[in-house]
Amino acid sequence: METIRDMEPPPHIIGIKHFVDYKTVDEILKSKNFRQGSHQESQPFFGDSLLTIDHGEHFERRRLEAPLFRKEALEYYEREELLPLISSSLEECEQNRGADGLVRADLCLLVRNMLARISAVTTGIDGVDTPERTDAFRTYVEQLGTGATVEWSTEDHGEVIERILAIRQGFVEEFYGPSVERRCELIDQFRAGQISEDDLPRDLLTLMYLHWNEDWDDELPLREATLYTVASSQTTTHAVPHMMMHLHEWFEVHPEDYEKRFDREFLKRAGHEAIRLHLPSPALLRIALEDVTLSNGIEIAEGERVACLFTPANRDTSVFGDDAKSFDPYREVPDVKPWGFAFGGGEHTCIGRTLVTGLSARTDGDEGTDGTLVNIALALFGAGIELDPEEMPAFTELSYHDAYGRFPVILRDL
Amino acid sequence: MADPELHVKINSLICEGTAYCVRINPDVFGIGTDGLGEVLVDRPAPEFEDSLEEAATLCPTRAITY
Ligand code: HEM
Repeated sequence: METIRDMEPPPHIIGIKHFVDYKTVDEILKSKNFRQGSHQESQPFFGDSLLTIDHGEHFERRRLEAPLFRKEALEYYEREELLPLISSSLEECEQNRGADGLVRADLCLLVRNMLARISAVTTGIDGVDTPERTDAFRTYVEQLGTGATVEWSTEDHGEVIERILAIRQGFVEEFYGPSVERRCELIDQFRAGQISEDDLPRDLLTLMYLHWNEDWDDELPLREATLYTVASSQTTTHAVPHMMMHLHEWFEVHPEDYEKRFDREFLKRAGHEAIRLHLPSPALLRIALEDVTLSNGIEIAEGERVACLFTPANRDTSVFGDDAKSFDPYREVPDVKPWGFAFGGGEHTCIGRTLVTGLSARTDGDEGTDGTLVNIALALFGAGIELDPEEMPAFTELSYHDAYGRFPVILRDL
Repeated sequence: MADPELHVKINSLICEGTAYCVRINPDVFGIGTDGLGEVLVDRPAPEFEDSLEEAATLCPTRAITY
């Protein structure tokens, strides 16, 4: 099958100025003359969340949330939360042993479950602990994700928003409400001197309620939590199957590299290549704050919305070489980030990047963590992952996202 | 920590010039003529450590080490 597709821009992008070359996309994302232009329709889900605010307000919000991504916090998540969650998710797969003695799984679903749990921990949603509760939470996050990315939906957008708002009520009653209540009680105990700050959970909701800002509306933490759960789970769940597919193809052509499936540095590079080639959405949108003339001479009027098509930009041969459209874990690109624009650029650069790539990526010196991609890949190779010859992976048809919808695998060593 | 002295660096490969570091710590960080972050004092006194940690963690691209 063709695993690296040319992604056609969705219809509503065709009508606005869009850019496909690395240099211009870089210029726009870094420029202070533009603001966030995505998620206009999905305001009920993401409105006023970190992703949709800009400049001074954005700086303050990021400053508030940055402690979640301190080095110690990243080390804690990886050791105390991520690794046990990966192991327990794989153990649960063993219940699906077939008559032939083999464990089969859908990698999309398996990774979605792993990521649902870790995203619940970082966001501050309790009770995502049994397979049933994980399933329920994951389903909510996926539905909220559909609402939050309604711009890219192939269904009627108004109907999607109405349907998902009703579903969100269930999420609030079942998960969000009780989690907030527990955090507020703990914060009260902390303020009364009954517990120390170290006894408070290290998550987004605790931070927000601990440092409440009178300018916020009561629902803002819900929308911020929606952003965190959706942004942290759907992106990585899209990335892992791509990474495993590319490694599968790579090892077929380069069998001498198969032993590197447990080599963290090799896996890290493979992860960077996978996310460089497969971006989490079709485009990053920006709105000009004033009349702008780009360095290529193109003029953008104040208030005009432009689209940065970061898939073609991340495959720009003038930056990544003549074979930019292929997967090469040994690729060396001296002057740019190995993942290109996978995490966006400028102010809105993904706040969770270090959770994904670890802090020990080429760009972070030699300290820190390995990140979710490497840890999940290591665990999958440890479980003896193979493609299931009876059913090939298939891409999703439900949206314009570059993602697998089904990825059947055998976990031979479980 | 292996080296108790602070040694501030900005990785120009990943810096995007948001200047968030300058807002946190204008004595240590500035913006150069290329629009990217610049280290003004690369060996600041130990009392800067907390604010450097904040700048490094807040930097949207995590370009700062110290
Ligand atoms: C492979 C994994 C991931 C990819 C490819 C990815 C990609 C991105 C991109 C492209 C943006 C910028 C969107 C824009 O500028 O319009 C972004 C923002 C964001 N991401 Fe990620 N992300 C990933 C994982 C995560 C994780 C694990 C978290 C967990 C907290 C997260 C949370 C966020 C948040 C909160 C924002 C908004 C940041 C802001 O606007 O300042 N992401 N991400």
